Amino acid sequence: MQSLLSIENLTVSFDTEDGTARAVRGVDLHVDRGETLALVGESGCGKSVTALSAMRLISTPPGRFESGRIAFGGKDLLTLPETEMGRIRGNDIGMIFQEPMTALNPIMTVGDQIQEAIQLHQDKGEEEARALTLEMLRKVAIPSPERRIDQYPHELSGGMKQRVMIAMAISCQPSLLIADEPTTALDVTIQAQILELLNALREETRMALLLITHNLGIVAETADRVAVMYAGKIVEEAPVEALFESPAHPYTRGLLNSVPRDDPGRPLEPIPGAVPNPSDLPPGCAFHPRCGDALPRCRRDVPVRLPVAGGRPGHWTACWLYAER
Amino acid sequence: MAAPLLQVQSLKKYFPVYGGLLASVTGQAKAVDDVSFEVGRGEILGLVGESGCGKTTLGRMTLRLVEPTAGKIFFEGAEITALNKKAMNRIRPRMQIVFQDPYSSLNPRFTVERIVGEAMLEHGLADRDRLRGKIEEILEKVGLSARYMKRYPHEFSGGQRQRIGIARALALNPRYIVCDEPVSALDVSIQAQIVNLLQKIQREGDLSMLFISHDLNVVKRVSQRTAVMYLGKIVETAPTPALNANPAHPYTQALFAAKPAMDPKKRGRRTILGGDVPSPLNPPSGCHFHPRCPKVMDHCRTTFPQPVQIGEDHVVQCHLYG
Repeated sequence: MQSLLSIENLTVSFDTEDGTARAVRGVDLHVDRGETLALVGESGCGKSVTALSAMRLISTPPGRFESGRIAFGGKDLLTLPETEMGRIRGNDIGMIFQEPMTALNPIMTVGDQIQEAIQLHQDKGEEEARALTLEMLRKVAIPSPERRIDQYPHELSGGMKQRVMIAMAISCQPSLLIADEPTTALDVTIQAQILELLNALREETRMALLLITHNLGIVAETADRVAVMYAGKIVEEAPVEALFESPAHPYTRGLLNSVPRDDPGRPLEPIPGAVPNPSDLPPGCAFHPRCGDALPRCRRDVPVRLPVAGGRPGHWTACWLYAER
Repeated sequence: MAAPLLQVQSLKKYFPVYGGLLASVTGQAKAVDDVSFEVGRGEILGLVGESGCGKTTLGRMTLRLVEPTAGKIFFEGAEITALNKKAMNRIRPRMQIVFQDPYSSLNPRFTVERIVGEAMLEHGLADRDRLRGKIEEILEKVGLSARYMKRYPHEFSGGQRQRIGIARALALNPRYIVCDEPVSALDVSIQAQIVNLLQKIQREGDLSMLFISHDLNVVKRVSQRTAVMYLGKIVETAPTPALNANPAHPYTQALFAAKPAMDPKKRGRRTILGGDVPSPLNPPSGCHFHPRCPKVMDHCRTTFPQPVQIGEDHVVQCHLYG
């Protein structure tokens, strides 16, 4: 089956004062229709740049697409003219961001903002668009939507603002929703509400979700498949159960061991060291200076994708430990 | 039993709210409303709650970095609520704070040496000759090399900066440290390093800590007792294992339920709390939690519940247990 979104060998660099930051280095990734793919990693690993590239929201310069293809609906998004790309954004791919506070226009009512998005993409009159706006607010479970529609963002709580963002993003029924840390700025009880809403909407509309997060709990809760990113590369990809049951890459294992879980007797095992600077990456595997299992070749050769022996279908990792010796 | 290291009684902090044409006081935000608790010697008390519940204000009030509107604070058995600046300054070295944001809490123009050493000079805890050696000793304790002494904060990663912040707090050899969301701004792989470090220095120095966090998993790991705060009130306090095994207040139960399980097989087995955290400007009548509470009863809407002891050291403020 053909994937809905398929990213091949994507490399994105940024020219900075400190030299060239290699944010994304040869990423391969696909999202199938109706599935939730979680892209996991720590700050600066390139997960947001990967997502923004799919929306072509990277400013060039300072950014540079050095290689790659992003196939969506038979088109390569990286070479599409801007007008055509504008039609795909919102219509076919929706996006929500981490900070609902800054993603909304503070001097427009939330209703007008959703309505604007609807009228930009769909051939609808004023009244029809407003009715649809109201329906969308209802769909994302905003209480008393008739009143909220005419309010400004500052009158809404953080969770409510994120609901408005979701309403806007799904108003044109996109087949793919990209959610970049959608609950990171929210409180735990509100985070649970938003995740439940996203899951319910996905089931109802069969929309695919590319969920970008650093929170492994959220991954366990929502994803079908998981891709783990480190220093601009996907280091492991697996069905969600397989990733939590038998993580293969030392970085993935390190991440899982450094999060407090329900077993207080088990000591936390932090990953030593820190995330490398993208403009000064170590040679070979970028994780080798922090890896307890590093082999001599890890310092020299960039690892390739290898299937995890005895693993489930679709479980692979970029780690020399899994190469045949 | 020895007196607790820190004890607060009926602490309140009301912030005035200005409004109208003449910017007169039109209301009060009750950030902390009648809160009492204590922190034992060598104990870590976890303080959990969502943003805006008043946990940061409460933490700072115990250090008198925020002045209480009413209530009393006792430190090492003596009341410090009304001490003047000079007397307070003599106590300050024994009570310190580690902030959430390692980026904004370090002076960008100071070297590590000055950040860690300045307060020691100020309080006469080291003379210039021995200062360097002392700083080295503290840096080593928090896992930083003495080579870094002449460097500036921007040259460090977030985790290393938090280590510098901890070194600064440790420099004065405190008895009590408020840790205000010390790992929330850090990456997952670094959080564990800092949690382990804080636990190590607490054990080695027999320190007391107020550990403020919204992350139940972290609090569960570090604290002996946990207090849960909602809209300016502590609604439940218990030994951490008892709280985890048997959360009593519906809000505590909801917090535990909202926490995603780290296991894909346990998906979807939770009840999710509806509604938003109300504004402290205009808190709901009676029990502040009643509009969101799945077990709400009539008198919850009118009267605030009194503390009820339901187990050893386990106190809850909820009409269900009245």
